[in-house]
This record gives sequence, C-alpha cells and structure tokens, in this order.
Amino acid sequence: MSLTDASRPERRLPWRVAAWAWLAFCLVVAVHQFSFWRTTHFDTDVLALLPQDEQSPEVGIAARQLAGQVTRQVVVMVGAPDWASAQKAADAWEQGALAAHAPLQRSALAGADSLRDTLAFYAPYRDRLLTPAQRAQLEHAAPASLVQGALAALAQPGGGFRLADWNADPLALWPQWWLARASDTRARPRDGRLALADGGLEWVVLLQETTGAAFSMSGDAPVSTALDKGRAAALAAVPGARVLAGGVPLFAEHAAARAKLEVSTIGWGSVAGVLVLVFLAFRSLWPRLLMAVSLLVGVAMALSVTAWVFGHVHLLTTVFGASLVGCAEDYGLYYFASRQGAPGVPPLKLMGALLPGLALALLTSVLGYVALGLPPFPGLRQMALFSVVGIVGAFVTTVVWFPWIDRGAVRATRFSAWIVQGYERWPRFRATRGAWLVHAAVLGACAIGIAHLKVDDDLRQLQGSPKALLETQREIGRLLGLAAPSQFFVVRGASADEVLQREEALKARLDWRIANGELAGYRALSDWVPSRARQAADAALTRRVEDGVIAGVDQVLGEAQQRAPFDAAPLTLQAWLASPASTAGRALWLGAVPRRDDGSAFASVVMLRGVRDLAALPGIATSADGLPGVRWVDQVQSVSALLGRYRQTMGLLLVAGHVAVLLALAWRYGRRAWRAWLPTAVATVATLALLALAGQPLQLFNVLALALLLGIGIDYGIFLLEREDGGAGAAWLSVVLGAASTWLSFGLLALSSTPALHSFGLTLLFGLFIVGISAPLYRQPAGRTPVPTPITDPRK
Amino acid sequence: MTRLTRAIALAALSVVAMASRAATLASASASAPAVDAVKVVRERLKLSPVLKGEFEQAKTIKGFKNALVSRGEFLVARGQGVWWHTRDPFESTLVVTRTRVFARNPDGSTSNLADAQAEPGVRQVNELIFSLLAADLDALSYKFTVAAQPVGSAGWSLVLTPRDPAIGKFLVRATLAGERDVQSVRIEEARGDTTQIRFTRQQPAAALAADEAARFQ
Repeated sequence: MSLTDASRPERRLPWRVAAWAWLAFCLVVAVHQFSFWRTTHFDTDVLALLPQDEQSPEVGIAARQLAGQVTRQVVVMVGAPDWASAQKAADAWEQGALAAHAPLQRSALAGADSLRDTLAFYAPYRDRLLTPAQRAQLEHAAPASLVQGALAALAQPGGGFRLADWNADPLALWPQWWLARASDTRARPRDGRLALADGGLEWVVLLQETTGAAFSMSGDAPVSTALDKGRAAALAAVPGARVLAGGVPLFAEHAAARAKLEVSTIGWGSVAGVLVLVFLAFRSLWPRLLMAVSLLVGVAMALSVTAWVFGHVHLLTTVFGASLVGCAEDYGLYYFASRQGAPGVPPLKLMGALLPGLALALLTSVLGYVALGLPPFPGLRQMALFSVVGIVGAFVTTVVWFPWIDRGAVRATRFSAWIVQGYERWPRFRATRGAWLVHAAVLGACAIGIAHLKVDDDLRQLQGSPKALLETQREIGRLLGLAAPSQFFVVRGASADEVLQREEALKARLDWRIANGELAGYRALSDWVPSRARQAADAALTRRVEDGVIAGVDQVLGEAQQRAPFDAAPLTLQAWLASPASTAGRALWLGAVPRRDDGSAFASVVMLRGVRDLAALPGIATSADGLPGVRWVDQVQSVSALLGRYRQTMGLLLVAGHVAVLLALAWRYGRRAWRAWLPTAVATVATLALLALAGQPLQLFNVLALALLLGIGIDYGIFLLEREDGGAGAAWLSVVLGAASTWLSFGLLALSSTPALHSFGLTLLFGLFIVGISAPLYRQPAGRTPVPTPITDPRK
Repeated sequence: MTRLTRAIALAALSVVAMASRAATLASASASAPAVDAVKVVRERLKLSPVLKGEFEQAKTIKGFKNALVSRGEFLVARGQGVWWHTRDPFESTLVVTRTRVFARNPDGSTSNLADAQAEPGVRQVNELIFSLLAADLDALSYKFTVAAQPVGSAGWSLVLTPRDPAIGKFLVRATLAGERDVQSVRIEEARGDTTQIRFTRQQPAAALAADEAARFQ
C-alpha cells in the first residue's frame, strides 16, 4: 500500500479518455448552468419540503389546493380609532405603496354585476337552501306563529329589503342564508372598501396580489419594501395608526432574502476558508486553482442534476448545499498532501495508489448523504441528491483531472511542515490504567449528558420565519376570522353527491361542537350545494311551510298571493362549478382523486373557523370517527409524528451503519479497523452529550447529521490508516485541512436561522471537532509503524 | 384572494339589505342635510337628544293588491337606539341598538334578528343609523348624494341617493320632509316597493326616562 511500492502499471489511455469524457460532461453542465441561472427560480414553499401522504393522495391535493389559493395574496390591514382616520391612513398607504412601483396590485372586489349574477344563479333554487337553524325553526315552529312573524315583518318599517319577491321568500329566509355564507370572513364592504371593527379600532382591509414571477435569488425584496413605504406613509398621515401586513409572498420574499444571505455566508465563507488553507499548506499555484475547479464543478453539477431531477431547487437546498464546499474538497486535499509527502512519485502513479482509499472515503460519505435522503421528505431527498452529486463531481474531477493538469512539485510550506510535525507529537492511546480511567470518565460524562437529552419532533423546526411576521399573520387571521389552513377534514365518496351527503353527516356533528363553543364554524362545499337528498327534503319543507304562511297572510290581508315556482331539477355541483357563483367555495372541491377500494373517487375539504384552542382539536378530530369516507387531517401533527418516527428509525439505522462501516473497515484493514472507526463512534456519543448540555433537543435532523458524521468522520480514519506505513504525516495534513474546512462549512451552517439546518450544522460542528482531535489518538503505536516518509521542505 | 373577495362581496348582499332597511328606520325618525340649502335645513331642523311620537306607515309591495298600513309609536335616543312599536294592525316591536337588532315579543322576551358578534356588518349599519340620528352631514354624504330644498318659510325636503351602486341596486332614493321635525319619509326601492311614513305628535326630550331606557335592553 505504500506509494513507493505502487507497482501497478500506469494505464494512461483509459485515464486520458476519462479526462476528456469528463470535460465533455462538464461542458454540458456549463451549458445547463447558463440557462439555469437565467431562467430558474427557486422554490421557497415550506410545503414542498414536507412528505406526501402516499396512502391518501387527496390530502396532498387538498394541502396544495388550499395553499395555491393564497400564493400571491398580500393582506394589509390599516387600523385607526375612527373610520375616517382609518380611511385616511389607508389612502396614504395605497399612495405610498404605489410610489414604490412594486410588483403589487390591488385585488379586484366583486362588483355589483357579479353579485346580481350570483343571485340570479341561485334564485331558482332558493326553496332548498336553508341554514341548520332555519331548518330546525321551520320544522318545529307553529304555523300560526310563522304567519304572525310574516305579518310583523310586513308591518315593520322598510319591511326588510328582500333579495326576492315576497311570494318567492315570504319568511325572508334567503338573506339569512347569504349571511351564513358570508361568515367565511369578518370583513364587510363599507364605502367601497372592506372593513371590520375590532378591539376599539376600525380597520380597512386592503387586498393586494403580487404580479410577475415567483421569487428569484436576487436578494432584493420589492414587496416588503413597498409595504414599508406604505406603512410609513400611513403613519405619517395618521400618527398612531396600526398597519398589519401578511401573506405568503412576504414569507417567500423573506425566505429568499435570508437564503441568499446564508448561501453567501456559508458558500463564500467556506470557499475562502478552503483557499486560505490551501494557500497556507501548498506553495504552488496549481493546488489552489485545481481545488477551486473541483469545487466549482461539484457545485455546478449538483445544481444542474437537482434541477433536472426535481424540476426546481428549493432555497433550503442551496443553503444546505453551500456547506458541501467543506466536504467536497477533502479528496483534492488528500491528493495534494500526498504529492507533497511523496515528491518523487509521478502524479498518475500516485493517484493510482491513492484511489482505493479515496474511493472508500467517497463511498462512506455518499452513504452518509444517502441516509439523509431515506426519510420520505422531498426536501431532505433534494439535499441528499445535491450533496451526493456534488461530492461525486468533486471526486471525479480530482481523480481524472488533477494528475494530468498538476505538474511540477507541490512544495511544502512552513505551515504544512508544522502540521506534519504536530502529528508526531500528538498523544497516542496506550492501554495504560490512566488511559482507561480517562476513557471511563469521558464515557461516564457522556452517559450523564445523554440521560438528560430531550426529544422534540415539532414540525416548526422546518420553519425559520421571523416571529414578528408569524404573529402578524396570526393577528390578521384572527381579525378576519379566516379558516385554519393546516387542519381540516377530507371527505371522499363514490360520486359528487355521496361526497356532499357525507359532508352533511359530518356537519351535523360539527354543529354540535359549534353549539358547545369548540369552534366558530366551518367552510364546506355542501353549504353552497347541498346533496340531492337534502335539497329535496328542504324544498318539501319550505313548500309546506310557505304555502301555509302565504295562505295565512292572504286570509288576514285579503290578498290572493301564490307561491312563486322554483326549478324542479336540483342544483348540481357541475352547474355550480361552471358558474361564477362558485368562486367563493370552489377551492373546497378536490374533484376526481385516485380511486380507492371502497369505490370512492371524488373528494372535498371541510375547513374549520375559529377553533377555540389547540386542546379542542382532538375532540373535533373525533367527529370523523365512524363516518365513512371522512378523514381528519392535521398536517402539523402528522408531520411532527412522521419526524418522530423517522428520528427513531434513523437512530436504529445509524447504529446499523456503524456496524456496517466497522465490517467494511475490517474487510480492508483487519484487526486495525477499530482505529479508523473509534474516533467517529466516540464523537457520535460525545456529540449527543454535548447537545444535551447545550440544551438542544434531539430531532430527526441531529440524527441525520450524525449519519453524515459517520460518512465524513470515517474518511479521516481511513486516510490515516491507509498511509500508516508511509506518508502518515501527509495523510494527517490532508485530514487536518479537510476537517478544518468541513468544520468551517458546517459551523457556518449552524448560523442558519432555519432551526433544522442550525441543529444539523451544530451537530456536525461538535462531531467533526471531536473526530479531528481523537483520530490521531488511536493510531498505531509508534514502534509498530515504519518511519513515515519524510516530507522534504525545499527551503531546508 | 378572489375567493375571499367573493365571499366578502356576497356578504355585501345581506349587509346592503340590512343597511337600507336600517337607513329607512333611521331616516324615518331623524333628519339630514346639503350645501347652502343644507345649511337652511339644518337651521330649521331642531334636533333633540330624545324624540318620541306616533307614526303611520303605508307600504306598497309588489304582489300585494292593497297598501299595507300600520300605526304605532316610536322612540329615538341619539347614540342609544331606535324603538319602533307597531300597535295596529297587530302588536310588534323592533329595537335597534349600536350592536344589535332585536324584536321584543308580546311576552317581553327578545329575539335577536342580528347582532354584531355574529354578523360584523351590523355594527356598520347601526353606525349609519346613528350618523343619521346625529344629522352628521359628513358621514351621510359618504353614502348618499344629498339634495336639500327649503320649502316655504319653515319647511324643507331632502333627497338622499345612494352613491354605492351596490346599494343602488336595492334602494333608489329616500325622501325626507319636515319643519322643526321630520314629518314624512318616502323610500323607493329598486324592486318597485315603496314605503311612506308620516310622523305626528312628536315630543322632544332632554333624556330618556328610566322605563324608556329599559326598552333598549
């Protein structure tokens, strides 16, 4: 295994072919990169990172449909103690925001014409549209009292401005039905604006939508800038006014700006770190240049392949990917350190000798990253693919190009000589009583630490949105009384009508919960289009009651009114969907979904409004129990549960991975294998203890980071063991440089404001440090290794 | 946002229905103004914190051969509410306060017709009533174009036309006439229905009596 023994022939031709082939491939990637940066926009949607429920695709459809409605919507609320100031502040806001020339426009409010059209659409079916309270009232009220009520209404001033002729709605049931439909939001039209009053403030609701394409990584935030200008203008016009702004575009813009900053910090920080290390360790120009080339190829290839496979690149992938720089450079460092340690060996021959060790190191790292992609989280899979392609790209560049391009001597520097000498002075583990005691003490401390480790699988780890933005969003949701986006029921059925019938069964149970104060209301398709059975029953009920009322009124007033005729055919979902009347509720209909064994092939969503508190959710969830085709979906809870499940699974896999790695090492290194493995094992245990001490809860992301630690940390053990009988100093140099740059990258990742990435980076920060200091500790006892190949410093 | 917008817009229907109704109620018992003529009307009209009196109302409704005539008494307390008690042809009472609209049943119990908690539009509508009661020209001219006309030496008339076309779909115009007090109100609806109210025996007062205040509870 010693380099000087490397007697395998230099297979120059295949190597040359490989080098050219790789160049051709890199050119293809370069072309793709050119178009990628010109056209691609990054994905900022946190939902894209979440797993799909494979058992129930309709849940994913529902989540996407509900989210899709609001991707462009920005809600601005301007509040002041009185309506006149609120309007003044709102006018100022609009002027101010307009002046910013942001890709933002005012959403059109439904005009009087569309209201008339909607009324006209529903008018033939008025007789079968009842609220639950109306149904109960009509079923139980005495006919005489209904007649009295109708007469009283006729006598009242104005008499109620009806939506239909008196003989088409003698009990004025229809306005109330519309009022119930309007409860989707608390905002009401007022003086040509939307308004609401709450907590002593009058609010103007300004609905805006973003125009133009999704967010790029340009780093500027035009929408937020415009909103800030609007706010400043509103406050200037009405001091003390309150301005709230929320909506997906704000979150997306913030995420994009932050990701840009983090990618720059992590990416350029790592690149700078690597180049400084290379500059310090290798005197010549080629190492610096080639290292930069291998990193560039790795990252470009990672971006291209990810975009090609997934169709888009998520922002968090780029943030995570920026830390790749710290891993991808290991192979080049190892090569140049070895060149420096063996100046007489031709580059190709050297590479031939290094290849087995390099390949094994690559394999373990790849396996570490593949472990990252095992949980069914598309986001993690994207990060895993990105990283695997990145390190493979850097590896292949190192292997097939470096020996060709790299010419001349890689001269040592004072810095590299100092590191190599440091290796010799580093303490070694010897089986003395003192050493065992130290180990026992460390192990004991770790055990105590790990015993204090807490577990937290909350989904909110994925979300790094600033608190202020989240709170504003919550306040807007509360003020407007909007339905919750992440908890809902999905209702399935064999036909559209069965879906509606099943919804009605569910609603009957929810009505009870509403009466109980557990929630304020719900949004359901069957409120807009009742099932055929319900329509028939309600039409019969209103016919019976209203005929009686009209007859009674006729008798008292001496009139001869006849009840207006209604459509004989029921209102169908199809007709409703095709009409503009469905705008308000269309998103609740999921349409055809993959057919199930129970024959269900259509689905809808029933959303909840004003859930009292989180404690009420489990009770509300039980409303689905025993109802065929009805399913409760709590995305926060189910994703958190999934995170927990995978934390456990990946924990077991991590243990299995350690065993597998140890076996693979044993296969190549025999009884010495433990020396390569133990540093990483110690680091894993000690990192868990350190996380506990730092008060960090254990999450899936820590476990995934530990899996990656196994992949990377083992490399250092391999490099050291591989060169044990010659050139260990050079191997140590590459380990020190590699570990330092990897450490820097993940250290920078720990600065990320996304909690998941932060804990990932922090875990590797701890782990790599411990691997770095303990790897030389377990090297062969000095007496049993040959004298390392001396590093020749030309200055000496 | 279009769905939300639409939902909100649909809500407008009911609100408009109520607003016009409330406007009727309010204008029935209060007063209102316009530019130079408005000034004159303001001088002639004497507002008092509390006003009570009797009314006679005649409604013509599409489909009914005869006008519906009712009589009764009313009480208006500025900033507090309107109490509308029909005695003839049968007993019924309607009360509008800042936050709700309710009917008082013959047995003394109340049944809510609308309240601001459940329907945010109620607060808005009731505010309109109160701005009418206060003869708040600024607030009124937001919602209506106001045409004022002095009549004779002591009389006046006001024609209120809705500015918002959505309201215009329901309410064509409201015409008020009177001297010291409002004496008549005429409401014309787009549907063709009309309401004509005459007020008599008006008595201004500085404050509500205890039993009168209880009517708004």
